Amino acid sequence: MAPSSVSEDERYRTSTQYRLWSFTPTSLLELRTTTNRNAANRVRDAVRRVREARAATSSGNTSEADGGNSRAVSAVPEGEVDCLSVEEELKLVTHFCRQTLQLGDHLQVPTDVKATAVQYIKRFYITNSCMTYDPKTLLKTALFFATKTENHYFRLTKFAEAITATKPEEILASEFLLTQGLRFTFDVRHPFRALEGAVMELQAMANGQTPSVGDKLRGMSRRVKEAHGKAREYLKTSALLTDVYFHYTPSQIMMASLLIADRQLISLYLGSKLPPGSANSAISAKLMEALDKCAEMLQSMDPGNEQSIAEKKELGALAKKLRKCRNPEKIDLVSLQRAKREGDGEDDERVVKKRKLEREQSAKEGHDLFGPTIQK
Amino acid sequence: MYRNAPKSVSDPSSNPLDDICPVCKSNRYLNPSLQFLINPECYHKMCSTCVDRIFTSGPSSCPVPHCGRTLRKKGFRKAFFTDLHVEREVDIRKRVSEVFNRRQDEFETLLDWNNYLEEVESLVFDLVEGSAAEKTRAEERLREYRDAYREEIEGNKRVGKEEVEGERRRERAEKEGARARRLAMAREVEEEKADVEKGKRDLLERLANSDGNANAITRQAQKVILKKSSARRNITEEVLASNGSANSGLTIRGLKKKVAPVEEKPYDPFGGVNITPARFTVQESYDNEWLGNAKKDTRHMAGGYSLQEYYARTMFEAFSGLGVFIEEEVADRGQKGDPSIGTAAAAEASGGKINIGHKMEIDDVF
Repeated sequence: MAPSSVSEDERYRTSTQYRLWSFTPTSLLELRTTTNRNAANRVRDAVRRVREARAATSSGNTSEADGGNSRAVSAVPEGEVDCLSVEEELKLVTHFCRQTLQLGDHLQVPTDVKATAVQYIKRFYITNSCMTYDPKTLLKTALFFATKTENHYFRLTKFAEAITATKPEEILASEFLLTQGLRFTFDVRHPFRALEGAVMELQAMANGQTPSVGDKLRGMSRRVKEAHGKAREYLKTSALLTDVYFHYTPSQIMMASLLIADRQLISLYLGSKLPPGSANSAISAKLMEALDKCAEMLQSMDPGNEQSIAEKKELGALAKKLRKCRNPEKIDLVSLQRAKREGDGEDDERVVKKRKLEREQSAKEGHDLFGPTIQK
Repeated sequence: MYRNAPKSVSDPSSNPLDDICPVCKSNRYLNPSLQFLINPECYHKMCSTCVDRIFTSGPSSCPVPHCGRTLRKKGFRKAFFTDLHVEREVDIRKRVSEVFNRRQDEFETLLDWNNYLEEVESLVFDLVEGSAAEKTRAEERLREYRDAYREEIEGNKRVGKEEVEGERRRERAEKEGARARRLAMAREVEEEKADVEKGKRDLLERLANSDGNANAITRQAQKVILKKSSARRNITEEVLASNGSANSGLTIRGLKKKVAPVEEKPYDPFGGVNITPARFTVQESYDNEWLGNAKKDTRHMAGGYSLQEYYARTMFEAFSGLGVFIEEEVADRGQKGDPSIGTAAAAEASGGKINIGHKMEIDDVF
């Protein structure tokens, strides 16, 4: 067998992040729009159902309406439901991603865990809506999941204790929901280690350890260090809160963040990596274009910027609006989970009963001359 | 006599007959050197005196009543087994196995081999226990077979002999080897003892003649002795190793011959795929303030952790996917993929399912 060569790019193409979680901006928007529309329709349907049920109970016809929904019934607001738009939802999700980062800081988990949790939330809310599943509870589950997938053990009870007013069941209730929303892919490729690699090589260039590089800048070592710090800031916040993970590869995100930090340095670096030639020039031009776009996207949410008062006010209004348009059937995930589990139990009971009957039957037939009938 | 005593206890019925010659009725009690002989013609036993008396002057008929076979003195021998029926059966088996001496590897299947064995066994049974007619028939068959396969029988006999011979040779060689080892060991011990003695003598002499520090001299002498003995040990080990490769001291008999297996190449986890990076080469070492500790700390190194792994991984991640332009590639995928994007009607129709995007189909959990 002739050894076929597999490039770094080919290897990235095998990842689930590339196969399932990479989108063009238009397709991503389309997905979100569809999700939003479906969710809004369902919210309206659910509200209508709940109102009908309430009308029925108040007239006294059915004294025993669904007991599990009694809480939800009380939560249903009056009047026409005013659902969130796609942009509003996106803003809310971003806001809750920020909150996840803060929660991560509070729990003192490493950057990887926080970053993974944020990506989980972002991925989940592509196909699910805030109106259906409350991000406030889901972000805890996401963070808890991230501690597992990033190999940072955190005991569930301690995790729940560390967050105010949270019970372990609450975190576990949406566990499968989140897993399914993530399409059972837990691997998130981050640009953090990539940054370390690039900086390591840049530093080696500065020290003249790599033979292939010709020219170098003055005070390069210091510049690399500064760029490293700045790029890291971008990766830790902007890269997580924007959609860059969906549109660019970790390597590109990293390069873009370095590009923001020190354009001259990175141009030189990439020039040395892709020397101007017939094949490379096309790629390098395309790459610079992509990096510029990515950098622009990163800069749209500068890490230094705190949320302004107006933004905060807007978010407050959105949160209030969300409270009014929640899907009343999906508010209490814990009891839904319990009901589902008990429902499963019933199923099991039925199966057990069926098996028992079969066994008895075959025992009875066993006394026949030719034994029981053969089971298929 | 004493030897026979316990036997007589275990089998009292045959006791008196065992000690009395059926021909001359002389008794072991009267003649302790009494010795019984048999002739494989008829397996009638008689004492050596009788044999001498009757058959010295040439072949004569068996003196036992109603036997009447002609026996020769040359045919008489001592019986190996006390029970003459067993003696006879063993003789017959020997005779038959000389003729029916096929080997298992001549047969194609195990079943054939077993059938052959069964046939031989029934022949033997006929010869041992059968009636006169059966016996003659069996004898006839034996002769026929011998005539038919004379050459093959000879060949097999030769092979069997060679095998026995080879076995014997190997045993002899083993014994020889063991003896040589024993001798070498003894010689070595002797030499070591002599060396130690000599060292001690030297030490005493030096202590007597020089006026240096006694302790220092003793220590040095000890060191010399140790060095010598360790050197000798090394030599013997080398010798053993070289011996081992030529002719290992221990051989286990009955092993099948082994065909030397084809040397396996080291396992390639990537199945021949070349994953040499194209965009970077990993250096021997990088200056990194974060890794300074890891480079020196034995706690990192002891577990087999190699910084090279870290370098390779970070460099790989830095360049993996640099040339992947999602906007182009994924857009292609979208066109090729299923056209369900944005078909809200389909999602509605499918009830509890949201069907969005390329293969983005999600069931409602609750």
